[in-house]
Amino acid sequence: MKADLNKFTELNKTKFENRGKELRLGIPVINSVVIGNSIAVGFGDGTIRIFKAGQSSEPIKAHNGIVLCISKDGDDIITGGDDGRFLRISLNGEISEIANFGSRWVDHVTANNGSLVCTSGNNVYLWMAGRKEPKILEHESTIGGVAFDSKGRRLAVSRYGGVTLWKKDYSNKWKSSNLLWKGSHNKVIFSPDDRYLVTSMQENQLHFWRLKDKTDSTMSGYGAKVKSFAFVHDTKFLVTSGSNDAVCWPFDGIGPEGRQPICLPFVGNKLVTFVEPFPNENAIFTGLSDGSVFLSEIEKSSNTIIIRSFTESEVTTISVTEDGSSILIGDMAGNILWTSIWDEENK
Amino acid sequence: MESNKQVPVTVLTGFLGAGKTTLLNRILTEQHGKKYAVIVNEFGEQGIDNDLVVDADEEVFEMNNGCICCTVRGDLIRILSGLMKRADKLDAIIVETTGLADPAPVAQTFFVDQDVADRTKLDAIVTVADAVHLSSQLTDHHEAEEQIAFADVVLLNKIDLVKESGLETVKERIRKINPFAKIINTTKCGVSLNEILNLDAFSLKRVLEVEPDFLESDHDHEHDDDVTSLSFVSDTPLDMEKFQDWFSKLLQTKGQDILRTKGILDFTGESDRYVFQGVHMLMDASPMGKWPEGKVRSSRLVFIGRNLENMNLKEGFENCKSA
Repeated sequence: MKADLNKFTELNKTKFENRGKELRLGIPVINSVVIGNSIAVGFGDGTIRIFKAGQSSEPIKAHNGIVLCISKDGDDIITGGDDGRFLRISLNGEISEIANFGSRWVDHVTANNGSLVCTSGNNVYLWMAGRKEPKILEHESTIGGVAFDSKGRRLAVSRYGGVTLWKKDYSNKWKSSNLLWKGSHNKVIFSPDDRYLVTSMQENQLHFWRLKDKTDSTMSGYGAKVKSFAFVHDTKFLVTSGSNDAVCWPFDGIGPEGRQPICLPFVGNKLVTFVEPFPNENAIFTGLSDGSVFLSEIEKSSNTIIIRSFTESEVTTISVTEDGSSILIGDMAGNILWTSIWDEENK
Repeated sequence: MESNKQVPVTVLTGFLGAGKTTLLNRILTEQHGKKYAVIVNEFGEQGIDNDLVVDADEEVFEMNNGCICCTVRGDLIRILSGLMKRADKLDAIIVETTGLADPAPVAQTFFVDQDVADRTKLDAIVTVADAVHLSSQLTDHHEAEEQIAFADVVLLNKIDLVKESGLETVKERIRKINPFAKIINTTKCGVSLNEILNLDAFSLKRVLEVEPDFLESDHDHEHDDDVTSLSFVSDTPLDMEKFQDWFSKLLQTKGQDILRTKGILDFTGESDRYVFQGVHMLMDASPMGKWPEGKVRSSRLVFIGRNLENMNLKEGFENCKSA
């Protein structure tokens, strides 16, 4: 007897899958960015797609190879690619090239408060509001990540050996200081209150600095590289991937040092590959290496509900619209779920 | 699942002017219908004829794990991770290094980084050597020795420009450093591509084919820091605990001087063959099935490195034999 596998998976779909839109594109999903209630997704074939409520999403050819990174500048999408281009894309799909670095990859892009940044190799290219030519901030090694603080006055650049912190003074000059910790630092973020800076490392750990006194410490114990981490909205927790649990470090009060994280477990011992806070809730969406996605409250005995069942491909992005109504999930095999979070009667 | 297949990575090393770019262009033009990504250093002197050429910085990172010889190529981690997100699947990746590059960090990257190890595999290190200049390069630059020491294949190029006796001398020198590398004589890198691609030289299965030819270890090399090789064999089974004690201590203390190791081990009370291979302090090891019936069980152990004669290797190995 042969089981009808298709029927089996249909029957096991969650209500979120049943009422949402599913795409099986076969193209790796790289990352996504939220702009209001739209979500833009970058793919491994150089295209992006923009998901808006009630509209179909057509692929927009942006880069020749891979969309390596995607972020936003106001209401525009900004992307970098392995074709060396740094692009601005409007929500209507109009593309304009900001810069072209030829055979050098554009690894990271970000923007805040009128300043626009991309990185290529060891350099940060920084466009200040109204300037046509970028200022070049040089570093001694390849840049692992960039992040602005909430006001756009400080720019953190992670690299081999630590973080270079660039600060804009009142004459609009950028000056640097160093936060050092041995090893190679990748993604970097500020806490929403700008008190902390956190990096993920080549080793299976995170490092953080408390900026007011530059004290620092390591968060370790992970079984894999921590590729995804984020602060929940009120900075109570830093939620992290890289383990079989979603590991949530307390950042309230005295910070995480000497305190235990809350670990949210999932059945099946799969690796957590992506975490995304639920806006305005003390809860997170967690994506696993088998493609499944769960919503959990950050509490010791947490309530967990399944959002998406497994696809056998690791979750590479989760984005929630600003109003918290819809979620987009993407994985390495190019499966997308775009669905509403709330039941009709709860809206 | 097809998407989980590891993409083979071939590393091309060799001194400037040995013929790396010639070989690279031959691979790219002869392998019709295959999709290659080529990672080159920014000092490459000739054009490379391929759609997908990525510039690399040869950035060597020390891992923050307390081991000073555990270095990796940070740029490779970044580039390989990026390439694995491409929608079109690659048939192979070729990494060209600069003439003065140490191959160890490249090889170690495939041991250390889990993402790289999951999605790609080191296929082989192919060293292109200039038959005319190799001898003097080996004397003057320790990088040249390392490139020979790490090689799975040495492409001895430009043989038309040396006399036969000179050719034998240079081959002798290569064998003294690395008796396990396959030496292929070429002019203008004319070699059948199946001799340099898809070799799977770093798989443990290939270690089983290692047949050291037991060169009597000679002490006539000119400098103490010359790279040499030593091999040991024993028909007496080894004690697993003793071996692990000795070997882990050896790698911890002498790992910087030990460039490559390979071995097949027969442990008392174990029905499986144990196979390992390592680069400096990093090691890949696994049981590899039962010993073939009717064949003598014997342990074989191979070292390539510097100052090997000062490490009491023979004595250490002898002490591992089961009483």
